Amino acid sequence: MRLFALPLLALVLLAAGPAAAQLHGVEVRVPRTFGYFLGDLVEATIVIEAEPGFVLQASSLPQPGPVTYWLDLRRVEARQEGTRHILRLTYQTFYAAIDARSLDVPGFPLVLSSGTDHGATTAPVAVPSWSLGLSPLREVQPARRADPAEYLRPDGLGPRLDPVPARNAALALGAAALLALVSLARDRAWWPFRPRPARAFADAARRLAALGRGPESEQGYREGLLALHRGLDAKAGYRLLADDLDAFLARHPAYRPQRDGLARFFAASRLAFFGGSVAEARHRLPLAEAGATARALAVAERAA
Amino acid sequence: MNDIRRGDAMLTDWRGAAQRFEAAVAGAVLGQEPIIRLVTIAVFARGHVLLEGDVGVGKTTLLRAVARAMGGAYERVEGTVDMMPTDLVYHTYLAEDGRPRVEPGPVLRSSEDLAIFFFNEINRARPQVHALLLRLMAERSLTAFNREYRFPQLQVFADRNRVEREETFELPAAARDRFLMEIGMEAPRDPATRRTLAFDPRFHDTDGLIGGIPTAILDPVRLGGIASAIQHGVRASEAIEAYVVALWEALVRPQTAGIRLPGIDDMAGLVQGGASPRGVAALVRAARVRAWLEERDWLVPEDIRAVFVPVMAHRIFLEPIHELRRAEIVPALCRSVFETVPAP
Repeated sequence: MRLFALPLLALVLLAAGPAAAQLHGVEVRVPRTFGYFLGDLVEATIVIEAEPGFVLQASSLPQPGPVTYWLDLRRVEARQEGTRHILRLTYQTFYAAIDARSLDVPGFPLVLSSGTDHGATTAPVAVPSWSLGLSPLREVQPARRADPAEYLRPDGLGPRLDPVPARNAALALGAAALLALVSLARDRAWWPFRPRPARAFADAARRLAALGRGPESEQGYREGLLALHRGLDAKAGYRLLADDLDAFLARHPAYRPQRDGLARFFAASRLAFFGGSVAEARHRLPLAEAGATARALAVAERAA
Repeated sequence: MNDIRRGDAMLTDWRGAAQRFEAAVAGAVLGQEPIIRLVTIAVFARGHVLLEGDVGVGKTTLLRAVARAMGGAYERVEGTVDMMPTDLVYHTYLAEDGRPRVEPGPVLRSSEDLAIFFFNEINRARPQVHALLLRLMAERSLTAFNREYRFPQLQVFADRNRVEREETFELPAAARDRFLMEIGMEAPRDPATRRTLAFDPRFHDTDGLIGGIPTAILDPVRLGGIASAIQHGVRASEAIEAYVVALWEALVRPQTAGIRLPGIDDMAGLVQGGASPRGVAALVRAARVRAWLEERDWLVPEDIRAVFVPVMAHRIFLEPIHELRRAEIVPALCRSVFETVPAP
C-alpha cells in the first residue's frame, strides 16, 4: 500500500446519527490528484476506521463497470487490518481533455455490519467524492504540416532478432526427424533396409572354407557339418533331417544336381553326430568335399 | 557299422519275424502301413496302445489281426456303460445242477498266460473299470480270489471312437499316460486302396480276413527278453540325448524356444502340464525299437520324430480354454517343436 506521503483528501467524521459511535473515520487516498491523461489507471485507497467487530458488507461494495461516461471502475479489492477496512479501487479515465481541468469522481455508500447473538447492527458509511486533475495529451491546434502523414509519429523500431538459435533448433529438429525416419525405415524394412533373400549356402560355404584353412580336427569337422546343416535349415525354413532330403529337393529343384553330395553329407553327419564315429565319417566325407558341396549349392543359390 | 553286432544275431532273426508280422497284418488291413509300423513298435517296446478313429476305419480289424499274428492267449471285452470292474474279473451263474458257480472272467480266464487284452470301445466303460485297467496296465497284476495274479506278457490294446460323445467317459489323464501310444487312425486316402476296400469281397468278411492271417509269428513269452535286448542294444549318442532334452524343453515351454502358433496369444500359458519323464522315457523306448526295425543300432532324430506324436501328444495337457481345439493345437505344436529344435 502506497500510504506514505499521501495527500489527505478527506477526513469525514460523522458526528450526527446513531452510527457515529461505530465509525471513526473515512479517508480517501490517491497517489496524486493531477496530471492524468486519457487511458491512465488511477488507484484510490479508501481507509475506513470502525469499531471492533464490524465488517464491510460485501454486497455494498461498488461493482466494477462504468462509473460515469468518462470513468470506469476496473478492479475492487477489499481487506481488513484489525479495525481498519481498506478498499483498493482501480479506475481508468477515458476523458479526452482539451485543457487541464478537475473532475469529480463520485462518492458511494458502503455498509458496515456487526452480527451478534441479539441481532445484527449496521452502520452506513458514505465515501465522499474526490476530484481528479486531467490534462490533454497534445495542443488543441497543432502546427501545419505539408504532408498529413507527418502528423503521425513514426513507427517504433521492431527489435532485431537473432536468427542463430532458431536456425540451430531447426537443424537439430531436422536431424532428429531424419533419424526417426531412418529408424522407422529400419523397423518397417523400407528401402535400404529391405532384407535381401538370405544367402544361406553362401554363409555355409564361407564357414566351411574358413574351417578348411585351419588345422583339421574332429571339432572343426563337426563345426563344418553344423555350418552346412544350418544353411540347409535356413533354406528349408525348418530343421531338415536326412529323411526330408527328397521333399526338400522337390520344393527347391535348383539344388537337385547336388542330390548325391547332400545324401553323402547327411549320411556322414548321421555317423559323426549319432553313430559316434567321427573318424569313419571323415573318411567317407572329408571336410573338403562337404565344402565343395556347399560351394556348388551356393552357386546354385545365386542363380536361383 | 550300420549292422547290429554279431553277438546280437538273435536280434537280426527277430527283425525278420517283425517284418513277417508287419506283412501279415498289412495283408488284412490295407493302406495302413504307418499305423502297422507304430503298432509293431509298441509290441516290441512292450507298451499298451490306444487306437482312436472314426467308425468303420478298421480299428477293431487291425487289433484282431495284430492279436492273431502275434499269437498267445487273447481276450476281448466290449466296453458298456453298465460294465463293472468285477465283470472283468469273474463271472457268476447258476449251473445245470441248480447250484451257483463263480468262474474267472475275461482277465483271469487264460490265467497268467494272457498276452493280449483287447478292450473295445474303452470310453464306453465307467471310470471304475478304467481304474481297474490302470493297475492292470501299470503293474501287470490284479488281486482276485484272495491272491495276486501276474500277467508278465500282458499287452493292452484299446480302441475308442472319437465321434460319439454320449454315454461315454473320458479316460483320466493317469490312464492315458499308461498307454505307450495313442494312435489316430483314418481311412486310407489312396483311391486304388479305397476301391479295393469297397469292392473286394475278401474285405467284407472280417472273420475270414482275420482267419487268413498266419498265426503266432511272434512268441509272446520271448517278447519281453527281446524288448529288453533291443533297449540295451540300440545306442543313443550324446547329440541325440541333447536333442531329446531340447525337444522336451521346447514342448513344455514353447515360448522360450520361440514357438508361435496362430490364434494363441499366450504361448507361456498354453501347455499346463504333462510331457512327464515317464512319457519321455516311453518316447526313447519306442524310438529305439524304430531304430532297430530300420536296421540301425544307434538312434537318429528321425526315430524320435517318427514316434513323437503317437507317444507324446496324449500326454500334453493344455490350458482348459485351448483344450477344445486340442485336435489342431497339439499336432501343430509338435510340428513346430521339430521345426525349431536344431538337429544335430
